[in-house]
Amino acid sequence: MSSLRAAYINEIYKLSKRKKLMVSCVLSVAAVLVAALIVGVANNFMGIRITGESEFSILVLSVLNYTLIPLFTIFICIDMVGGEFSNQTMKMVLTRPVSRIKVYLSKAMAAATFIIVNLLFIMVTSLIISLFIKGTLAGIGRIFIAYVASFFPLFVFALFTMIISTVFRGTGSAFFLSILCFLLCNVLGLFFSQLQSFLFTTAFNWYTLFLGSYINFHKIFRMFMILAGLGLMFFGIGSYLFDRKNL
Amino acid sequence: MDKAIVIEHLSKRYKNNRGIDDICLEVDKGDIFGFLGPNGAGKTTAMKIMTGLMQPDHGDVRIGGFSILEDYEKAMQQVGCIIESVAPVPYLTAEENMKMCARFYRNIDDKQIDWCLESTGLLPYKKEKTRNYSLGMKQRMGLAMAMVSDPEILILDEPLNGLDVEGMVEMRNLILRLAKERGTTFFISSHLIHDVELTCNKIGILYEGKLLDVRSTEDILKEYASLENYYLSEVDLSVKS
Repeated sequence: MSSLRAAYINEIYKLSKRKKLMVSCVLSVAAVLVAALIVGVANNFMGIRITGESEFSILVLSVLNYTLIPLFTIFICIDMVGGEFSNQTMKMVLTRPVSRIKVYLSKAMAAATFIIVNLLFIMVTSLIISLFIKGTLAGIGRIFIAYVASFFPLFVFALFTMIISTVFRGTGSAFFLSILCFLLCNVLGLFFSQLQSFLFTTAFNWYTLFLGSYINFHKIFRMFMILAGLGLMFFGIGSYLFDRKNL
Repeated sequence: MDKAIVIEHLSKRYKNNRGIDDICLEVDKGDIFGFLGPNGAGKTTAMKIMTGLMQPDHGDVRIGGFSILEDYEKAMQQVGCIIESVAPVPYLTAEENMKMCARFYRNIDDKQIDWCLESTGLLPYKKEKTRNYSLGMKQRMGLAMAMVSDPEILILDEPLNGLDVEGMVEMRNLILRLAKERGTTFFISSHLIHDVELTCNKIGILYEGKLLDVRSTEDILKEYASLENYYLSEVDLSVKS
């Protein structure tokens, strides 16, 4: 376990030293501010009511969940796997007394940490803005649950991106293929409703299942099991490919 | 004598039909073993397999008695290595890179890190980001990172690459000092035959993926005028047969 811990600390340390992390934080804040501006203008000058008292944070989540957060997740995952293969720094880790499965697991854990921090950052920023707009933090429990639920499909997507990044040596090709897969899954979900259960992108808005007045636990459980299955499958495939990869 | 490294019937073939073929080799503890061969002979392939960066088609490598295929973590616990080019994390300083390596071992303090950087001449530059390092400095950095755990075995692939004459002499002296004072076993690949002659006490010649011969430097120099003569005669014999 100490080698896994060391590998995880190293991944987090590297992540904290990258400019990408700072850029993702700044862009997240900027996106939330732009959303607040649009909502403010629509409410005050156009007479259109876009959100209720507690829904600004949910509105921000519903927009960023399909745009900036997956994009940053792709950046980080490709940087951690494909990037390290292409600039050869992966050798520095793989020639230490730590098995490849632990190295891969540490990278998945670091990706999970990044997603949690990113979601937390967006949630706190949007709550602060809600407080300024409405002067209240109504529905904070529901908002928290929605953000927690959003973590799972994003993490499954991160594991999927890590597979692509393990297969392709070039970071550019891995990046574009990840974006393409993300868009393709969304489009397939729109046109073929029977496929929706198997596409992880469909689950990006599953947090809405927690928000209604009636909570369908059966549906939540089914969706959770699908996400868990996909996550395990992606981790299994990714770690196998990572283990077999020759440098 | 105790064996530090045992290579058992190691084979790896690439799609272009090059690679290594049925290599068997033993390196005793405390030896400075020189792995000689021309470019493309399979030296790096063998060393990549030895350090787990590549899977063999057949065979196994035992380091300190532990199989690299079955007990990777235990085998690598006592190994430091440089394989091909050295690539520290470019956006971190030398010190930060060293600390990242040190986390995988117990009881490595800042003193040990400073000692490694001082031994390789990098202590004055430890706060500099490694992206600004020259090729020679990166090579020294690679050795410092390999030495951080004070390993029993150092596997070095072309460690003198990119070093100037002064750097080569310093590196050679460092290798000899570590072998003498700490009993470190070295497995060094190089095509710089003169440096191998001055550093190594045992030589193995790899040619077209086959291990032609393994002998002590002392025995070779009794029979031949120089290591170069011995190398050329072995290669010549191999080509004729």
